[in-house]
Parts: sequence; structure tokens; C-alpha cells
Amino acid sequence: MKRLAVAVALASLIAAACSDDGPNAGSGETASAQGSDLTVSAASSLTDAFTQIGKAFEKANPGTAVAFNFGPSDGLAGQIDEGAPVDVFASASPTWMDSVQDDGPGVTSRVDFAQNRLAIIVPAGNPAGIENLNDLTEDGVQLVLAAEGVPAGDYAREILKNAGISKAALANVVSNEEDVKAVITKVMSGEADAGIGYVTDVTPDVSDHVTLIPIPDEVNVVATYPIAVVNGSQEADLAQSFVEYVLGDGQQTLAEYGFLPPP
Amino acid sequence: MATDSRRSPSTASSPLRRGRSPAGFVVLAALGVALVALPLLGLVLRTPWSRIAEILTNETALTALRLSLIVATTAAAISFVLGFPLAWVLVRSTFPGKTLVRAIVVLPLVMPPVVAGVGLLAAFGRRSGLVGSWLYDWFGIQLTFTTAAAVLAATFVSFPLAVLALEAGLRGLDERLEDAASTLGASRWYVLRRVTVPLLGPQIAAALVLSWARALGEFGATITFAGNLQGRTQTLPLAVFEQLQTDTDAAFAVSMLLIFLAFAVILGLRGRFLR
Repeated sequence: MKRLAVAVALASLIAAACSDDGPNAGSGETASAQGSDLTVSAASSLTDAFTQIGKAFEKANPGTAVAFNFGPSDGLAGQIDEGAPVDVFASASPTWMDSVQDDGPGVTSRVDFAQNRLAIIVPAGNPAGIENLNDLTEDGVQLVLAAEGVPAGDYAREILKNAGISKAALANVVSNEEDVKAVITKVMSGEADAGIGYVTDVTPDVSDHVTLIPIPDEVNVVATYPIAVVNGSQEADLAQSFVEYVLGDGQQTLAEYGFLPPP
Repeated sequence: MATDSRRSPSTASSPLRRGRSPAGFVVLAALGVALVALPLLGLVLRTPWSRIAEILTNETALTALRLSLIVATTAAAISFVLGFPLAWVLVRSTFPGKTLVRAIVVLPLVMPPVVAGVGLLAAFGRRSGLVGSWLYDWFGIQLTFTTAAAVLAATFVSFPLAVLALEAGLRGLDERLEDAASTLGASRWYVLRRVTVPLLGPQIAAALVLSWARALGEFGATITFAGNLQGRTQTLPLAVFEQLQTDTDAAFAVSMLLIFLAFAVILGLRGRFLR
């Protein structure tokens, strides 16, 4: 785990530099002199919901600035374990929160704040005519998943296994992507015929370009999202109020983006 | 021969060339070296040397190594075949917009790799690519997610290096030697084959090696445009990235292999491309 950090930190820095991380890039400059900065590392599936929650939190707490670091949960956990100065961590799977809790600096106020389901995502017009999970096993279907180790990738493989189509579907995989957003990008561009991502990935921004096909509950996986204050935070109080905000007012925003309430 | 005739007028007469370097320069130069060497040192120290043989002979690493060699070699070859004529045209002919052409060709060197990948999608993607949609609709050819796409991505980023190295070589070539051959009755093709190319030997080697090494390390454009699949598009850098998520020891071992390969060829060249 420790060895991961340098390279992962580097990779996500590059990713951050190259993606349009509005809040990430801008917040440093908007912080007022006497205000406080909060750094939140959050799973990339939370990008849209948390960006909005962050803005609302800044409004409710004048003088504070929330900087987000979105990326694959495993990569974010790696950064934190290696000492990245992060105040709040929101993971797409309990596994990577465990990693920070047990192998990293540790956490306080850990709580599950949302759940998510997975879905098949196809390009608008559905060129390969995908209607259900079984269609993913048909010859020539180009399927894109997140890589193993990335929560969305592990969940997708679990679903294929639950449906008893692991072998045939995995044979159709044409790319293992670095995070779930990259899966959506490949589908959105029409290069892949289908991908498996979160229901919440079909945001208003992309809904014109992709179509969501639900996965039946009996084989679907429910992803549970934990959030916590990272030990050693310089802004522990503010971090605590951010966590509370996500559990309070933030719930409505999360619901708007398709997240389910915590268990 | 060619190298010497070029070097003498420009550098040998310079008073700064010989003698002690200013102390400030030495310090800054050392800092510069440290900046590059420290991450390398970090990688060396973190490499699980006791496991390296086992890791590098496993299937993931071997498959990625094989694919990387194919992709980088093909990319370097294409870069040379297209780069030599381009360098020739840029050096030996004048035409409007030449500066612009050179700027465009060099651009991939400074372009963020992800941008390169997005650009490649816009050109060669099957759905909306300028050329790609046509290829797909008419011939059913899809480049994305194929080894060809990985080659294309690697060529895109390595091509400028080949052109720059060849251009520098052609520019420094003593044209009188070619003229002499011509006046003695040699055809243009004969002059190219027996005079120009042999004189450019070191620069051609530099072009091939630099573009090969750059292609070997290509990551961002590949994962964006070609995807990441073992045996098809998962080159060594992509294998490193994926293994970081599962087996970090393996990631460091494969990184070492990549660095070793690139270092070996650059060292073999002994910095010749700079003289």
C-alpha cells in the first residue's frame, strides 16, 4: 500500500491537471485570508453531487473554501496513506476507507452516507442493441469496464459473476479503464458498445449521449459510500461539519443525482 | 567527418568552451541533475529486487513487454519513414507556411498526452472521428481498442523527435559532398543512398532511438485513444498503471524494466544526437 503513493499521487496530479476540475483548480485562489481551506478527496462517481454540495457548504460557511480531489477511491486512499494533507475522505467502497483506517493515518466520525447501484451504460442510439446483461456476452460487443481494484470495476465483475456470465462477458472487454468516469467517456464517445458504471454517472451533462439500462436487483450490487474525517486534519472541526452537512442538507443533492440513502 | 566539419566553425573558436565552469553553474547544474535523478533513485530503492525475476517473467509483464516492443518499434519505423522526407522538405525547400508546418509537427512534444488522445479520437474514432467514422462506415475498420491504435498514439508523440533529429542532421550536412557526387554523374537516388544517408548515420540512429524511447513510454494518449487491454493495447506503461491498483511491487518492477530499456538505448547513443 505504501509503495503505491508516489506513483499514484503523480498520476492523479496529472489527471487533475488535465481534467476540468473547476473546484479543485479554483478554490485555492478564492480562499479569503482569514477563511479556512478544506481538502476533500472523493470518489470520482461523486464528482457532480459533491461539487454542488461543496458550493452550498461554502455558502453556508462564509470564508471557507472546499477543494476537491476527485479520483478512483483506491488511488485517493493511496495518497492519504502516504500522508497527503486531506481533511475528508469519501470512498465508493468500504474497502478503501478500511485501508485509510487501518493502514493509513486513521479516521474519525466514519459513517455511511449514500448507496449507489450499477447499470449498463450504452451510447445514445444503442448501436449494438444491448437490452440486458446477457446481451453483453454476444459476439462482437465491445464492453468497457473499470480496471480491477477500482471499486466500479470490482462491482461490475461481481455483477457479471452473479449473473453467471463472467467468462463470456469478460471475453468482450476491450478496455480496463482507470476509473468509472473513463468508462463513461469511452461509452459516450461511441467507441465502446457498452460499459458498466453507476446509475449516478448518467448525469444531466451526459444524458444526451448515453442511455442507462437497469440491472435487475437480484444480480445487482449495492455500493455503500463511507465518509470520514482523516486523522491529522488541520481543520478537524470544519471537516466534521462538512461530514455533517453531507449527512444533512447534502442528502437532497445526492438524491437528485440518483444516489440512494445510506442503509 | 560530417560531424567534425560542422562542429569546428561554431564551437571550437568559442572562448567559453574550454576552462573551468563558473561555480554557480556547477551548483545549478547539479540541482538539475538531482531533479531528474532523485525520482529515478526513488524507483530503484522501492523496486522489490528479490522478486524482480519472478515478476518480470509473469504473463502480464511478458505480454506487455512484447507488445511494447512491437508498438515502439513500429512507431519508430513509421516516424522515420515519414519523418525523413518531411525533414528533407523542411530543410531543403521553401514554401509558404513552412514555419507553421514545423510548429504543427512539433506540437505533440508539448501537448498534454490526454489532449493527444482526445485529438486522436476526434480524428480516428469510429463514431465521430474525421477519418475514423468514414473508415468505420465504409470499410468496417475500427481503430480504437486495437494494437494499431496504440501504434498510432505512440507514433503521434514520437514523430516530432524523429523529424527534429533528422532536420538537425540535414541542416548540418555539407551539401558540397552531395554536389560533388552529382557532378560526377550520380543520380539523385544514388546520391541519397550512397552519400546523404551514410553521412547522416548518427542522426538517423538518433531519430530512431529517440522516437523509439518516446514511443516506449507513451501512456496518456494510448489509454485515452486505444484503451487498456492485456495483449492488445496494454503496453508496459499501462501495465504499470494497472498494477499500481493491484500489485504495487509488480508496478515498480515493470517501471524498472521500462527505465532500463530506455536508458540502455539512450546510453548506447552516447548523447550523439546533441552534437
